[in-house]
Amino acid sequence: MIGWMRHHKHALGTALHRLRIQAFTALLTALAMGVAISLPSGLYLGLENLSRVAGELPAQPEISLFLDAGASPEQKQAIATRLKQPDIAQARFVPKDEALATLSASQDLADITAGLTENPLPDAWIVRPQATSRDALVRISDGLRKMPGIAETHLDSQWAERLQAALAIGHTGVWLLAGLFAIALIAISGNAIRAQVLARRDEILVSRLIGATDRHIRRPFLYLGALQGLFGGLAAGGVLAVAGTILREPVEHLAVLYGSTFHLLPPDGAEIAMVLGLTTLFGWLGAWLSVTRSLHQVEATR
Amino acid sequence: MISFNQVTKRYPGGHEALSNVSLAIEQGELVFLTGHSGAGKSTLLKLIAAIERPTSGVVSVSGQNVSRLSRRAVPYLRRNIGLVFQDHKLLFDRSVIDNVVLPLDIAGFDRRESLKRARAVIDKVGLLNREKANPVSLSGGEQQRLCIARALVSRPALLLADEPTGNLDAGYAADIMAMFRDFHQVGTTLVIATHDERAITALGGRTLHLDHGRIGEVPA
Ligand SMILES: Nc1ncnc2c1ncn2[C@@H]1O[C@H](COP(=O)(O)OP(=O)(O)OP(=O)(O)O)[C@@H](O)[C@H]1O
Ligand SMILES: [Mg+2]
Repeated sequence: MIGWMRHHKHALGTALHRLRIQAFTALLTALAMGVAISLPSGLYLGLENLSRVAGELPAQPEISLFLDAGASPEQKQAIATRLKQPDIAQARFVPKDEALATLSASQDLADITAGLTENPLPDAWIVRPQATSRDALVRISDGLRKMPGIAETHLDSQWAERLQAALAIGHTGVWLLAGLFAIALIAISGNAIRAQVLARRDEILVSRLIGATDRHIRRPFLYLGALQGLFGGLAAGGVLAVAGTILREPVEHLAVLYGSTFHLLPPDGAEIAMVLGLTTLFGWLGAWLSVTRSLHQVEATR
Repeated sequence: MISFNQVTKRYPGGHEALSNVSLAIEQGELVFLTGHSGAGKSTLLKLIAAIERPTSGVVSVSGQNVSRLSRRAVPYLRRNIGLVFQDHKLLFDRSVIDNVVLPLDIAGFDRRESLKRARAVIDKVGLLNREKANPVSLSGGEQQRLCIARALVSRPALLLADEPTGNLDAGYAADIMAMFRDFHQVGTTLVIATHDERAITALGGRTLHLDHGRIGEVPA
């Protein structure tokens, strides 16, 4: 057990030493890995933030009812009564004057509304039904449209559904990209380790001559691969931090324009740990594949 | 301890370096291996350490059939053998002491203990004031002594030395041979390939003579 610990301590020390004497190459490798990893993780972060935006928006779909300009007070009363029924969770009346005032308040339309001699907007109801399934919504919406005094209904759920569908595609895309870049990571690590093995040809041959096992020879290279992966993960963190800093202001500005106090959120501890763990694992895996192959090569050219 | 039974070694390309060699070396024996250049001395030593495999015949060391040893078992055989290479095989990316410590690192010794031991052998071969030097800066004879130190540091039960005094002047050659005699006296088995007639007469022991890959014993 003590011997085993000593072997590993020695291998880790050797790996760190090799990293130090090849600091520049190690840095380049870490950067290459970092850029590769930052793509899927960046996309993941972007989607997480976007999902949060989607979550803040009204989750339940709404139906807008636009009243006929010539609807009688009785018809209006009937509609209001209908909207008090239990299948409606919430209903808000928007008189046409309020709608116009809202429009005028937004700068770009102020000029247009100022030129109007009479209010062209209809009175409206914003209705939030109890049910959320698409079928139920369509049924309620159709039912309302048949009532006298209602000119038009607008079922406002499609955009939310589309956003959800797009986010789902995005998430699949992230995993697809992550898979591809994991392969890239293995390749980068394998290549770096292969160069190391070939550069240490003499040491490997001599070590074997004086009694080193394959495992002993392989171990420092595996640590080296794992460390490179870890540094690659950290480099990705750096790349994302820089990207986040650059993006934060424009994104928050955009959010303000939409009247939201949205902030870009950085990844949480568990996500960071997972990315670092995975990059370390893939760095190790690339080293393992490469060192096993190159060792045979080194010995064949003895 | 070592036995060759009708061993033939033909290198790829067809050259027969050893032909039908049979011999036996007892535990604790001191054996010299002589012969002209190209006679097959290095080849014979390499077969003992499983660096080369015989084309036919059986090489066995401590009862193990070395010619059939699996790749995984070879390192453990070599850890019990001290090897002095004709071409030294030193590592030039590390200091003298780090070269000497290498076999102990491989065997998993405690680092402090290893360094202590390494320093003691380096002192014995007269390189203590060069312990931090890079082997490139050593003379041929110094490199040879460094290679000997590395072979001795793990106190092997069997020492195979290929021309260990080839580059040494008479004084150092005598010192090294005296070290070998000390090892012989504490029970180490030694097989030494050499042209150094003086050493052979000084140390005594058995002499095996190789001639174009065929073996013959030289009467003492
Ligand atoms: N790897 C090899 N491939 C092909 N031929 C080889 C190889 N190694 C040695 N030989 C040949 O085998 C013969 C014996 O070589 P060996 O090195 O055993 O001789 P030696 O007795 O040690 O000679 P020296 O005193 O010059 O060191 C030589 O003719 C040599 O050319
Ligand atoms: Mg030779």
